[in-house]
Amino acid sequence: MSDSELFDVAVKLFAEHSRWQDVGDADATGWPDNLWKALQQTGFSDVPVPEELGGAGGSVADAVQLLRAAGAHAAPVPLAEAGLVGGWLLASAGLALPEGVRTVLSPAATLRLDGDRLFGTAPAVAWGHRAEHVIGLVDGVVVLAPGPATQSGGPAVSRGVNLADEPRDTVVFDGVPVTARADAPDGVTEETLWERTALGRAALMAGAISAVAAMTLRYSGEREQFGRPIGRFQAVQAHLVTIHQQATVVASAVDGAVEAVELGRGGFEIACAKMLADRAARLVTAAAHQTHGAIGMTKEYPLHYLTRRLWAWRDEAGGHRRWADRLGSALVASGPDALYPAIQSGSEVVQ
Amino acid sequence: MVSLPSMVTSPPSLTAPELELRKQVRAFLAETLPWGTFEPGLGMGAEVNPKFSAALAERGWIGMAVPARYGGHDATAVDRFVVVEELLRWGAPVGHHWVAEEQKQWLLPRICRGELCFCIGMSEPDAGSDLASVRTRGVRDGDGWRVSGVKVWTSNAMRADFMIALCRTGDGERHAGLSRFLIDMHSPGVTVKPIPFLNGSTDHFAEVVLDGVLVSDEMVIGEIGQGWAQNADELAFERSGPDRWISTFLLVQEFIRERPDLAASPDGSRLIGELAAQYWVLRRLSLAVARAIDAGGTPAAEAALIKEMGTRFEQDVVSALRELLDRELVCGLEPAPSLFERLLRRAALDAPSFTIRGGTTEVLRSVAAKGLS
Repeated sequence: MSDSELFDVAVKLFAEHSRWQDVGDADATGWPDNLWKALQQTGFSDVPVPEELGGAGGSVADAVQLLRAAGAHAAPVPLAEAGLVGGWLLASAGLALPEGVRTVLSPAATLRLDGDRLFGTAPAVAWGHRAEHVIGLVDGVVVLAPGPATQSGGPAVSRGVNLADEPRDTVVFDGVPVTARADAPDGVTEETLWERTALGRAALMAGAISAVAAMTLRYSGEREQFGRPIGRFQAVQAHLVTIHQQATVVASAVDGAVEAVELGRGGFEIACAKMLADRAARLVTAAAHQTHGAIGMTKEYPLHYLTRRLWAWRDEAGGHRRWADRLGSALVASGPDALYPAIQSGSEVVQ
Repeated sequence: MVSLPSMVTSPPSLTAPELELRKQVRAFLAETLPWGTFEPGLGMGAEVNPKFSAALAERGWIGMAVPARYGGHDATAVDRFVVVEELLRWGAPVGHHWVAEEQKQWLLPRICRGELCFCIGMSEPDAGSDLASVRTRGVRDGDGWRVSGVKVWTSNAMRADFMIALCRTGDGERHAGLSRFLIDMHSPGVTVKPIPFLNGSTDHFAEVVLDGVLVSDEMVIGEIGQGWAQNADELAFERSGPDRWISTFLLVQEFIRERPDLAASPDGSRLIGELAAQYWVLRRLSLAVARAIDAGGTPAAEAALIKEMGTRFEQDVVSALRELLDRELVCGLEPAPSLFERLLRRAALDAPSFTIRGGTTEVLRSVAAKGLS
């Protein structure tokens, strides 16, 4: 299946199981059971983990297409955590996928391993309370541990939510025995975990932004004031142009990041993609709400399912500053004559 | 969904022959124009140097995409992108042949040899953004045409051999009655009056009065009545190239060279990171349009989206660096100001023109908005 065919199939799945009403219901209950089952049945939750490790196969590009579709439908599930980030982390160390809902502990967590026992606190764990398994990188060791939703003996959890009411829970380990552990291979570090997490957020954001673009364009053609559709006014057209420009920027940036990752690198491109996605989120949500006016501020109209996620995702996986600082420091250290070659060739020549 | 498919398709990275071409251009520049031996310019507003243009032409890097039968080189839009990108990021003096290159569909062998300098007569006192309201008129006269009118904001008119002039030749519908002529600037009836630019230069901008200038039938570009369509097609080429986002790049490069302390500060390196991300993605989009042109498309709306973003970004670079420096732009007469200081002064004064020349931001938004569906 080509990437665009996969995207189309995924869009169909989300259109059926992640309707705005489903997303709203999940805001309240914390979990869309039908959607998650559909993702498991299709194997989408297990892309890009190799089949021999219990995954569904597929490439990073495939996983990113699925996340774009998920972002466009505000799918309230830990899809990035299950596949692109957590699945990758387990597979990199040769560990097999466990049965059940899984999520990832952020590289910002302060954890330590004492033998096979895990100690410490992981903040803002996506759907932490629903997770039967958690995956983390602790002192260079890939760890699979029981999650708060395991039958007994799991870690303690206190519930939290981000701006979009997606669960972001604090999980506390007080010596929970790990299920499996293996040394992380070369090239899998705290920094690459940050990068994977950021790529996942950028892909979701690309999807959400394209959906905001479509929704806003449609609304501007339907809503009439002063006797004509508001999209005919130049001032409103300027908003539409901003939104589509930024949708294009983020789409191209995510493509560029995927191309680099598939070549076994990608630090430069992922930093750029996350920075550009964060900036786009700011510009696009402002222009979209301004175009919609009061209706866009209501709970009833679905724009907020997308814009609240964009506001939350901007700051997750490292915000604008983290990535700008890291990239900028590397570029300044390389000196003036290396700057343009870096812009042309990215992680092929820098980092 | 985003309705600009050619842009969301990623530009496949450069091919081996394209990378080899880039290597050749870099080697040529390092040899002909070693860094530090010339005054680098800000993008297309760079110096005029006929000898340099001739040297480029000798290597086949002018009129690249022109068919070989007209003296061109049958190169692709991406090859052209590769060459232009390297020239501009080096601040090379492309002024002599720049316009000729933009108008490559109509180039003749002499243009491809870099021998001729062109200007474009589009704007008039009462026809700026509303270009279709031009009043310069071509009237049938025997076997040729008599052209009368006034063109303004014509870059390089004082040194051009020919003008590509957009004129009204019919009374029909607004767009249908427009044609383009190639006017010999040495013809009787042509008067060029320099318009001093706010940065003090008097050899760039001009008003051109055409008073009954006789133009033969061979100098009609394409067909009578096709002027508007030709213009629109060319804008896809003109609006998406590196020249629309790279103009102020050398400021960033020289800032790092001359102020390594400030560049390495938290604010400095954050800014460099932000700017690099923008350059990286604008370059990708610009390259994607070149690929789309090579595939036979005329991505005019996409090009408008890029120019609108790219030229505003060129200005943002200048203001961001000025904010970081936070000091008056006073250069001592002795010792001579550094390259960074010279570039910054020039950019501070030229920057407002970036979002005006080649189509204002406002017009570009209208063009782009029409392309959304």
